[in-house]
Amino acid sequence: MVEFIGGTLTLFGDPTAVMLFGLGLIGGMLFGAIPGVNMLTLGAVLLPFTINMEAPHAVMLFSVIYCSGVFGGAITAILFNIPGAPENAPTCFDGYPMTVKGQSGKAIGAAVSCSAIGGVASAVVMMAATPLIAGWAVRAFGPQEIFALIFFGLAVSASVGAETLWKGWLSVFAGLIIATIGTDPVGGVPRFNEGSVLGMEFSSYYLSAGIHFIPMILGFFAVSEVFTQAMSIAEGNRKRPKANLEFPSLAEFWAVRFTMLRSMFLGFFAGILPGIGATLAAFLGYSQAVRWSKTPERFGKGELAGVVASETANNSATGAAMIPLLALGLPGGALTAMIMGIFQIHGMEPGPLIFINSSDLVWITFAAMFWANLCIVFLGWLQTKTVVHILNVPFRWLAPGILLLATIGAYALRNLMVDVWVMFLAGAIGFFLRRTGYSAAGIVLGLILGKLGESAFAKSMQLMDYDFLGFFSRPIAAFLIIAAVLTIVSSIWNEIRGRELQKALID
Amino acid sequence: MIKSMKPCGLALGALLLAAAPLGLSAAELPEKPAGFGVRPLTMIVPFGAGGGSDQLARSMAKAMEEVAGLNFQVVNKPGGGGTAAIPDFMLSPGDGYTVMEHIDNAISAYAKGDIKENPAEDWTPLCMTQITFSQIYIRGDEDRFTDWNSFLEYAKENPGQASMANLGKVGSMELVVMSQLQNALGVKVKQIAFDKPAERYGALIGGHVDVLFEQPGDVRTFLDSGAMKPILTFLDERPGVFADTPTHKEVGADFDALTRFRGFYVKSDVPRDRMEYLAAACEAGFKTEGFQAFNEKKYMNLINSYRDTEGSVTLINDAVDTYRAVYKELGIGK
Repeated sequence: MVEFIGGTLTLFGDPTAVMLFGLGLIGGMLFGAIPGVNMLTLGAVLLPFTINMEAPHAVMLFSVIYCSGVFGGAITAILFNIPGAPENAPTCFDGYPMTVKGQSGKAIGAAVSCSAIGGVASAVVMMAATPLIAGWAVRAFGPQEIFALIFFGLAVSASVGAETLWKGWLSVFAGLIIATIGTDPVGGVPRFNEGSVLGMEFSSYYLSAGIHFIPMILGFFAVSEVFTQAMSIAEGNRKRPKANLEFPSLAEFWAVRFTMLRSMFLGFFAGILPGIGATLAAFLGYSQAVRWSKTPERFGKGELAGVVASETANNSATGAAMIPLLALGLPGGALTAMIMGIFQIHGMEPGPLIFINSSDLVWITFAAMFWANLCIVFLGWLQTKTVVHILNVPFRWLAPGILLLATIGAYALRNLMVDVWVMFLAGAIGFFLRRTGYSAAGIVLGLILGKLGESAFAKSMQLMDYDFLGFFSRPIAAFLIIAAVLTIVSSIWNEIRGRELQKALID
Repeated sequence: MIKSMKPCGLALGALLLAAAPLGLSAAELPEKPAGFGVRPLTMIVPFGAGGGSDQLARSMAKAMEEVAGLNFQVVNKPGGGGTAAIPDFMLSPGDGYTVMEHIDNAISAYAKGDIKENPAEDWTPLCMTQITFSQIYIRGDEDRFTDWNSFLEYAKENPGQASMANLGKVGSMELVVMSQLQNALGVKVKQIAFDKPAERYGALIGGHVDVLFEQPGDVRTFLDSGAMKPILTFLDERPGVFADTPTHKEVGADFDALTRFRGFYVKSDVPRDRMEYLAAACEAGFKTEGFQAFNEKKYMNLINSYRDTEGSVTLINDAVDTYRAVYKELGIGK
């Protein structure tokens, strides 16, 4: 506590630090909110300048960008179905339907508050227990546990946004199959990048990069939404979503308190584990919110808890990601790797000793992350009152802008044209998918969890000499896998019984 | 059997000797070809932002701007282990305005038949600016074994149990070196494929694997903090910094170990004057104080890390020969 106050005083007592804090906050939010650039772009641009900064300033700046950048992408996700960054992708699932229902203010309000709450909570835990947690987490969570965690997430994916459980599972399996396109994560074997369709030979280096979930999301959600809206304009029955400035009420927050807690917890775990990070945090938070909801059928159609789950989880992952970085020198993602780079530039070694040797740096960073998350509330409130008015622009003017932003976003992801083609293809498929009762969100969940899951599964099997039962000799992994299987069985059971009940009632 | 292979690999001993005469004198740049360099150049990085290749590309772009006034736009095109960026590079006009950074992955991919472009013929290497060797690491606080000999004993006492975090790509430099070592010493270490570096390091520190295969520059922070320590160096002679660590030849494995190298390429149809100008700019950039400091931080100063165009072609062709010979032994590739 004394250290925290000390860090805060150092931070706000130093004009340069305050200026960098403000710049990082606004810069991160802007870069997060504009599709096509993200906080990594900002980080890569700023990294060379950190050589001339003092080390605590540079590390503080990047951790503030991290906090606000992860939040920034939520705004476009909610208003236009375009996630500003991968971390905000699941925010689209319910955020945009809320906008359509005229609840944009509520959705953004929830995103703002939950980002802040998740971020502050993880900053607090980070301050309290970094050295302790870091060592434990890397030891307790091996590939087996990570696979089990992803499997657990997959078990509930089928219930997101589909008409029936079967259509939900088919959607998820479609996603899992798409995940196998590209270079496999173990042997580096290219899959489905060449072959023949109807006698036509094809071979593509681009496809060896695989299908990324971001262009899929942009296509399924943003592009196909433009088509759908255009059609309803042509049919003359489109209602413009009302720009709404209403913040969620306290009662509404109270109603989602468990979702928030759960996401905080999941986000925290995903953040600590090397190589997992905020994106998986958001997806797991979302799928578990569906799992535990009393009304899972409302997810994907504008449920506040969906936005809450995803935004709480991705921001609590930010604080958590600093734990392995500072305590073990293990960066979990690209932005934390850049922070690692700053340490190296200044000749410092992250690791247990940093708390003793550079405790001022550690505490100024902790304090900055804490206050950055609190500032998100204020900045977000300002945004809610201003940005939402974009919705008053007629759709025929908005539509080209959305398509443009989505195209830029898809291309800028990896600077590969294949992503743009995938986006438009997914847009066309998504347009028809909406009428069939299959779930676009399910496909996306299958795709991302499939990629991460395959990699974790392969590593686990190599470690366990290809003995599947090995999972059950590890308590955490065993618990998660059994829970996942029970979830699947009970959802199938409920579906069958539900159908029979319906039939019986009709008869 | 691999022992009997013709030593056509990389003569690292000669390489160590060659490191000495490379002074840091300012290089002479030829005159800039007429009409070249008037607009920013594109530097393609086939890996993600923030990684080793990205850092190298940005550092070299800065150095070349300093010495030749060339402006570079660094564009990351990650995917497929460096493969996905190749078509865009090949489609770029052959006017010298597009430079690609690439690593020895491209060479093993070509040797294996995964890509059809020959890095020494279809591309012209401007220069190699990072060449490094690999090592095997254990946790700093490991108590089951403390050096190579005790690890070897441990691996022999627990057959099939000792595990190593490594890259999994079939035919990669990492797996080739490890299979040569295992064949030479008659020991088996389980190779666990981790695709992300952070996961590899986390797996060692978290105790999920026993040892790690890596290059010293990538784990320098862990070495400096004592979280990891090297037990074997894949090099002909011990470099000064790692004087206490035995080399693979000392422990009885007689093969020339492959190296990791990163460098810069243009397409082979780029006009000769532009290519030579870029190559000279790369050499001058390599000698700048800023770039030297960068390479030193990455432990890229332990062996001669520089090759000009001619030297790079030799390096690549030698590596292709070595890979092909090993692939034949192992029965992989096309």
